[in-house]
Amino acid sequence: MIRRGLTILLILLLSGACARRAVADEPIVLRDAAQHELRLPQRPERIITLLPSLTETVCALGQCGRLVATDRYSNWPDSVNRLPKVGGLEDAQIELIVSLKPDVVILAHATRVTQRLRELDVPTFDVETRTYAEIYRSVAAIGRLLEVPDRAATLNRDIERTIDAIAAKARQSLRSRTPLVYFEVDNGPYGAGPESFIGEMLSRLGAHNILTPELGPFPKLNPEYVVRHNPDVIFISPKEAPNLGNRPGWDQIRAVREARICSFSPEVRDTIVRPGPRVAEGFKAVADCLARVAP
Amino acid sequence: MPDGLAHGVLDTPAIEARELTVGYGAHRVLDRVSIKIPVGSWTSVVGPNGCGKSTLLRALAGLLTPVSGRISLQGRPLASWPRRDRARHLGWLPQWAAPSELTAFECAALGRFAHTGWLGSRQAQDDAAIQRAMAATGSLAWAARRLSTLSGGERQRVQLARVLAVEAATLLLDEPTTHLDPPHQEDVARTLREQAHSCGVTIVSAIHELSLALTADRLIVMGPGGLIGQGTVQEALNGDWLSQAFGTRIKIISHDGTSLWQPRLRGASDD
Amino acid sequence: MSTAGALAPTGEAAQTGDGASRFALWLLACGAITLVLTFASLIVGTSSIRNSIDWLLSPEAQSNTVLWHIRLPRAIGSWLAGALLGVGGAIAQGLFRNPLAEPYLLGSASGAALGVTVSLIAADTSLTALAWTGELGVTGAAFLGAGAGIALTVTLSRGVLQTASLLLAGIVVAYLLSAITSLLLLSSPDTWRAMQAFMLGSTAFLSWRSALILGVALLVCAVPTILLARGLDALTLGEETAESLGISLPALRLALLTILSLATATAVGQVGLVGFVGLVAPHLVRESILVNQRQLLVGAALCGGVLLQAADLVSRWAIRPAELPVGIVTACLGGSYLVFLLWRRARSA
Repeated sequence: MIRRGLTILLILLLSGACARRAVADEPIVLRDAAQHELRLPQRPERIITLLPSLTETVCALGQCGRLVATDRYSNWPDSVNRLPKVGGLEDAQIELIVSLKPDVVILAHATRVTQRLRELDVPTFDVETRTYAEIYRSVAAIGRLLEVPDRAATLNRDIERTIDAIAAKARQSLRSRTPLVYFEVDNGPYGAGPESFIGEMLSRLGAHNILTPELGPFPKLNPEYVVRHNPDVIFISPKEAPNLGNRPGWDQIRAVREARICSFSPEVRDTIVRPGPRVAEGFKAVADCLARVAP
Repeated sequence: MPDGLAHGVLDTPAIEARELTVGYGAHRVLDRVSIKIPVGSWTSVVGPNGCGKSTLLRALAGLLTPVSGRISLQGRPLASWPRRDRARHLGWLPQWAAPSELTAFECAALGRFAHTGWLGSRQAQDDAAIQRAMAATGSLAWAARRLSTLSGGERQRVQLARVLAVEAATLLLDEPTTHLDPPHQEDVARTLREQAHSCGVTIVSAIHELSLALTADRLIVMGPGGLIGQGTVQEALNGDWLSQAFGTRIKIISHDGTSLWQPRLRGASDD
Repeated sequence: MSTAGALAPTGEAAQTGDGASRFALWLLACGAITLVLTFASLIVGTSSIRNSIDWLLSPEAQSNTVLWHIRLPRAIGSWLAGALLGVGGAIAQGLFRNPLAEPYLLGSASGAALGVTVSLIAADTSLTALAWTGELGVTGAAFLGAGAGIALTVTLSRGVLQTASLLLAGIVVAYLLSAITSLLLLSSPDTWRAMQAFMLGSTAFLSWRSALILGVALLVCAVPTILLARGLDALTLGEETAESLGISLPALRLALLTILSLATATAVGQVGLVGFVGLVAPHLVRESILVNQRQLLVGAALCGGVLLQAADLVSRWAIRPAELPVGIVTACLGGSYLVFLLWRRARSA
């Protein structure tokens, strides 16, 4: 056993640890978001996803049955919770992934994990989902990968139609008002700027973000900024909502004075912050709250 | 035992400093000091605290850069000596030894570093030199103990063994006896005399115990204003250099052929 | 060391016996522990594979991949990285004559963190940057960053003439570079996740390539250091004494600093910021046997290797099938050891 191990070690050291790729008929050839070419000998049946939005996309395309494992944060749909978890995106457990013998691992850009998996001959498919446009692209890409392009196109159409309908209705109910909104993403405070995914959502619904594009997608703010811009509606986590009045100067803000606060439960929040196939639900949640509390 | 001085009177002094000026910033510790140390003699540097004894020794060892002046070792400028040759011909013992985890033997063995170099290993002559040096300082008994487990006096004797192991022609010792009890102080003094007179080693030591310092062959007396005089011990006593250095607080008496310092503990009027 | 026995006629020397053979025994013990740990690494893992010789001998291709391409390089790589950190720690402690010195002293940790942050943010910004940083990888960025951090420290302290100024400059550089890193992270919260993974240290991505890089680095660092060990011995007696023995202090410092940078930067590049191994390994060696610097360096390398290998094993086993970041394990182990040392000192005081 030891001799065998040493022989392998010697070969690897001498040849510089090159991976050997299987050369076979390659009916699936795709280019992923990181511009790497993926070649699969046949339709991938064993899939691992490393981001909740990617898991949801796979399931929304009706291919949940092909999933063999997900990351620890994926929690929708319910069936996914029974699958083995392989860690997060940056600290994925390489050994567990390899031992599950996946046909492809779908992930977002993560240098070390991608590199290591490729070294071990595990096919990876890089998908970026940070903007709305990228959602549609990623659904289409995954649809191509899983060989269900028609379902992907349908899904995209549905999402788009639903979003358009909600957006139109929201604008109608707002009439010509443009409420000033502030969406707090995290303690810091970190706000969602107009260029972020959430910011896009808000502007489509006819709201005006107190943050400007120059600040970036998720800037850490001076709380004074929020006070000065006096938003009409504040989106915040349910834990922070009761304490808003205690923040220095915040009791002067219109949204706090008039109790125009929107908070969402963790499940609903998932649909808002995850750029995946359930964005329409998130859209609806935000639109409903806005219609309710906007002045 | 032949008189070391007869050996010592050669044309080329073992070590010489000319117009040596050493200072830290604006403060001058040594100002245009010139000294000559003859070969094969034991010279004591004496003087009150802060007059520059350590600084002089350091400068002679090449550990300080003087502001001006020249130092020669065996007739050649000190700066022109290649590092390793200088290490072989000039040994240095500091006043304060940093705490170390080395064993006594390893410490003494480091004295041979200048001979073996980085890569060489110890030869028979190196081991013999180490043994001689440790025997001379009575430190063989704790050769395998770590320095940090020894007392101050024991450590000092090991350090002395180290500098003796170099078997250099010139030794510069800064306070080699501070932690030793009188019998061992006597041992050290005897060893130094023997090295100088029988082996022709030139020794310059700063010793602040006057009685011990006076057992050397020559004295360099320094005072608050600089160098007061250099010469044999007798010359120093005749010229009353010590009173000049320490003010009138020094009384030297002669007893059994040895010069001793007598402390005056009663009032000045009782003299 | 046998000469010590010959020269010393009394009991104190006799009780320590022959120093060289004690050291050889100690080395053998380390080697044995390493083998045991390597074997354990092969059979303990996140996949619940049964602990049996039959499985080890089975010809399954898949288990071979897990075994030979994941676990074995990980075990060997951890050992090599730990050895590099151990050597770095021994050098740092000898160079600064301070038992609390460790290899990250001179800004290498903060430099590596900054390098990784910059490369992650650049990869996010543009595709060409992505291609470049893809080539370089997190490992390359960390390596370059660590080297740059040390270079900055040496420049700030204006050469290697003063040990005290090196230490001070190292502290300044560490604060400065961490501040810059934090600023960059604020502007790009997405990279925060990846940075966390790096900061906590991780042996999870070690491949045969990593092991090769680490092995070469260890050879390149260990051999000259062992040759320079005598100079470190002399340095323990004081800088003036070392100079009087014929050692050029600036040259010695420069050589040691270069080796320290290479060792630390390579280790940090491959496993991230793993703390305590560099600090604790030399201490463990000194506590167990009497050593000179040459033996200390070899011993610290072996000890560091064993430590990190053991930490890797614990990180994989403790909360299986999940994994602890290895930096947390080393912090716990190292922290406990230091607490133990303090307690022992208080008792003997």
